[in-house]
This record gives sequence, structure tokens and C-alpha cells, in this order.
Amino acid sequence: MLKVINGGIETLVEDWPGRLGYLSKGMSASGAMDNVSLGLANILVGNKPGEAGIEITGGFFEAEFTEDHVIAVSGTDMQPKLNDISIPLFESIQVNSGDKIQFSHIGKVGFRSYLAVAGGIDVPVYLGSKSTCVFGSYGGFEGRVLKAGDEVKIGEFSVDSDKVVGNKIKPDVVPEYQNEIVLRAMPGPNTSPDYVTEEGMELLFSRTSKIQHTSNRSAYRMEELPDSFYARSDGGVGGSHPSNIVDHAYAIRGTLNICGNTPILLIADGPTLGGYICPIHVINADLWKVGQGAPGRDYFKFELVTQEEAVSARHTQNDILSDRSLL
Amino acid sequence: MKNGKFDVVLDYMPATQGRLEVLFRQAGDGFLQVEYGREQRALLQDSFRMLAINDRIAAKNFNGLIETVPGIRTNLLHFDPGKVTVAKLIDMVKEAEDSMQTVDDVVLESRIINLPIAFEDSETKKAVEKYAKEVRSDAPNIINGYNLEYIALCNGLTVKEVKEMFLSTEWFNSGGGFWPGGAFLWAMDPRCALVVPKYNPPRTWTPEGAVGIGGPCVFTYTTPTGGGYQLFGRTIPVFQFACKHPMFKDGPFLYRNADRVKFHEATEKEVVEIYKHVHEKTDYEYNIEKGVIKAKDYIEWFDSEKIQAGIKLLKEKQEKGIKAAPRL
Repeated sequence: MLKVINGGIETLVEDWPGRLGYLSKGMSASGAMDNVSLGLANILVGNKPGEAGIEITGGFFEAEFTEDHVIAVSGTDMQPKLNDISIPLFESIQVNSGDKIQFSHIGKVGFRSYLAVAGGIDVPVYLGSKSTCVFGSYGGFEGRVLKAGDEVKIGEFSVDSDKVVGNKIKPDVVPEYQNEIVLRAMPGPNTSPDYVTEEGMELLFSRTSKIQHTSNRSAYRMEELPDSFYARSDGGVGGSHPSNIVDHAYAIRGTLNICGNTPILLIADGPTLGGYICPIHVINADLWKVGQGAPGRDYFKFELVTQEEAVSARHTQNDILSDRSLL
Repeated sequence: MKNGKFDVVLDYMPATQGRLEVLFRQAGDGFLQVEYGREQRALLQDSFRMLAINDRIAAKNFNGLIETVPGIRTNLLHFDPGKVTVAKLIDMVKEAEDSMQTVDDVVLESRIINLPIAFEDSETKKAVEKYAKEVRSDAPNIINGYNLEYIALCNGLTVKEVKEMFLSTEWFNSGGGFWPGGAFLWAMDPRCALVVPKYNPPRTWTPEGAVGIGGPCVFTYTTPTGGGYQLFGRTIPVFQFACKHPMFKDGPFLYRNADRVKFHEATEKEVVEIYKHVHEKTDYEYNIEKGVIKAKDYIEWFDSEKIQAGIKLLKEKQEKGIKAAPRL
């Protein structure tokens, strides 16, 4: 069991790929904001890459282990310590009953850390996933962030601990975090010439935009676009603003919604449907980079790719999230 | 033929007598949007056909297709590109489209869900009070402590007429989304198609079971949440996270695509009593009838002189009403 001493800024139970198949019921997939870090931490401790782990956003999470476990910490460096002694990232270690793990806060790059425990986090599987949807208050641990006093159960682990302790991730596979985050994206479904000018699309794919403070697990907001972005003057029956459209389903996770003039990247807990246009879509294999972007500090830039490149990037990611990444 | 560098229409099917043009729009590496026609419009006839096609697609259990998410004139296909190519997916949709040649073929399974409503009940009244106190004290959509008079004003009607229209039509679910278990319900009878602007800014709290209207859509709140729809009153639970009641044994949702909701008036006491029987005793029996919608019959009825005259009459009232109503 993991006894929470300090819940930190926002700490959640998340798995991957999350809760798929309920968009038409108004439920987005949720899931880890950085599935690569979660996946690598899981592989280190002998779990499946999509097993539920602890997602620590911003920092300050603190907990005590009430039994012996094998754990791994990944993601951005929040100077994690075990009983006040620094522990390495991207490496599996043994912890014993009574050990306390403590995270400080984010540094100059990255936004989220992950804690995986051999056996996984044992919360009920709700509609196919252990992920928390904070926005809707369901899934994960009682549908909410972890707080002091919570007792989080750990799943059964069948492998011999000795076999997984000391695992390391190959240095060339360990992700590097940046302040200017390049997200590969595909155009669609609402682009030029019908909705946006070709210049507007070029602008989207060339500019660098700061992630706004108001961003969260549902939506990452970016800097406003000029009125010249649009190829039309209004949204017809959909509404008076050119960003309006008759309500359509949002391709989440990953679609970029334009609400008024504000581009909003819809992610984990985002809305499944609404009345705004969506000119581009961040490819599935780059969603993890969004999760390491800190609101108010980092920048996004979009890079145009094709469907073929996006599919090939998925294959590459699947290869990384396997035992082949172990040293 | 590509129309510029960012054209995302991957393929299309030309319009036929029985159907609008079909556009296949790229929407992401795991998403394809199927769009019907190029005109921004919200017509139930479009939705009937799209949902009937959607049923045929679902029946195929197509390998690699994760889910479909119908809007009113678009259907979003969510797929795993590791299992299926976009080209194969488009072929599959085309096959479904070709299997429904004429409007005679558009027969849609559509249940009728009978729900009680207590107009202007004390719980939704609390939500309005809270809004006036904490969010906007001068909200012009609150008249005599509630939204019903504003709804009437916007449509050029009396409160009595609004209630009668609300109760006399069936409300069609064009597809769920936005909030867990939510459904967007449209008036089947266009003579009862009330339209109201949404709250500005939105509420911070709405009780479970609240019934509201925003734009042309009615929404029954599945869980307590914020929201922007003007309130009519309160109905019984249409969602249950815990999945305890037999109605929710396969999932927390009551509504399916193409369901029709028919409201009947009840007292607040009757409505509140049912909450216990859904959530605690789990012995409430929902009143749900099986049925179908035949698009051809609907369109004939819709196009008839009597109905068209009724639509015209309502639209005239609404035009005057919205001019007279205060802006939010």
C-alpha cells in the first residue's frame, strides 16, 4: 500500500490508453498525460507499459510504502528522494515497508513525473480503465486527486523482485524535455479553403505560441490568432463567430479547437463534442510531449506531417515502450 | 483533386436523390470525419439517415474501428491505424452508404423514454437563486426567480404555451456527448421547436435531473455540474455512476442514440420520491417503449401544409419575441 502524506499540486492515478470507446457518451479517454514516461516506468518494474501509475504534476507529492515493493520514477526530474536520499530516475529500485518517497518540484524543463510500482496501482477498473477523469470526478482513486491520508492499494506482483530491481532505460531512449516543444500535427477536419485561409494554416504551422496559465488536463490554451485566420465571416447556423460550426464530435485526444480566436488543444479530459472548428490534430505519438509542457513557461510549435509519418511514429513509440528499451 | 495544400477531403460520394453529398475529412491519425453535405444546417432528417447508417456500421464490428461519435450532420470515426487503413475505413462507410439507396430505406430503431418533469421545482430554483447571488445579480434571464418567463419571452409565447409545447412533442437524441451520459434532444415536432440563448456567463451548479434548453436543444443534467441551459424544472435520474440499478447494469447511461424522450408533468414530490427508488432501492421501473422512425413518413408530415403553417406561425412569434427579450 501507498500511504499519501502530501498530495502535492495535482497527483492522479492514470493508465494508458485510458478509457476508450465512450466519446459518444460524453466521456473522454483521460489517461496519462505523458504515456511514454508512464510506459518506461512500468517496463522498468516488469509491468505492462499501460498499467496504472501515479502521475505527479508540478511536484510536492509525498508518500510512505507500507510493504516492500519495486518502484521506478520517470518523467521530469523533481529531485525524488527515498528517506531523504536522492534516487535515480529511469531505474527500478527496491523500497521497503516504512520507506518514504518525496518529490520536490519541477526544474527548468518538463512538468510531470511518474511513479510506477511493480504490480500496478490497484484501483477499480471503471469502463475499461483505471484512469481518473478529474473534470468529471470519476475513475482512478475515488475520481479525484490524491490527498494526505489516502491509502492507495498496490496490485499483486508475480515476478521475482530480484529480476527487476536495478533495471535501467537505455540512455538514448530516455526522453529529453524542451521549453520549445515541437508537436507533429496533421491538418483536419476544418482547414483551408472552407474554414481557414491558407495563410492562416501556414501561420499555425510556423508560429511558436506560449502555453497559457489557464491550461489543465482538459485543455491546453495558446496565444490568440488574428481575425485574418478565417476564410469566412461567420459560422452560419452554427453561430455568429467564424470559429462556430454546427456541433460536431471532437477528435480527442489531440484535436486543436479554435474558440473565438483562441487555439485550445483538447487532451485527456477534454470535451467530446462542441460547436467550434478544429483545423489541426496533434498525432497520437506526440501527445506525451503535451504532458511535459508547463503552462506559463513553455511554448508549442506545430510541425506538419502526413498520415504515413504519424502511423510510423506510433510504431516507433510501441517499440520504445517494450523490454527492448532496457539496458 | 486536391484543393490547396491543406485540403483534407480525402474522398467523397456525390449527392443522390436519397442522400446528400458525403465528404470524408481527415481528422487526425486515428480519426476520420464523415460529413453530410456542405451546408451548415441542423435538420433531423439528416440525423435520422446518419444514425441509420451508423447502426449499419456498428453492426459490422469492423476490426480496428474503436467507436463512432455522431453529431447532427457529421459522424466521427475513431480507429486504430495499426489495425485498419483510412482507405479501408472509407470503403466500409461507402458500402454502408450504398446499402441505403433511398429514403424508404431509412428506418431507424428509436425507443420512447417517458420521463416525468416537475416544472419550477425547488431544487432547480435553488440553482437559479445561487446564480443570481454568486454569479450575476442582474441576469435578465431570471424573471420572478426563474427562467421560464424568459424562455416564453424569447419565443413570443406565454409560460403556459411553453409548457404545453414542451410536453406535447417528443425530443429526439441526435447523439450524446459533452458531459457523461448527456444527450442533445431536439423537438420532433417543429411547431414546438423552442429556441433560447444560453446563460451568460454559465452557472456554477445545476442539480442532477435538471431539465434545461440552450439554443434548440433540451438537456437533462446527468450529474450535478455547472451549465448554461435555461431551466424548465427537474426530472428523474438518467445516469448512474455506480451502475447499481438494473437499467444501468451494462453502463451508467440511460440514453442511446436516436432515443425519443417524452415528458409528462408530475409533482415535485413524485419526482423526488423516484430518486430513492433509482439510486437506493434500485426498484424503479423506467417506462421505455420500443419503436421506429420512418424518415419518409416524417418528411412527408414535416412538409405538409398544416405543419409548414405551424412552423411559420412559431417563427413569426419567435422573431418578435427575441427582439423584445433582453439580451444576455
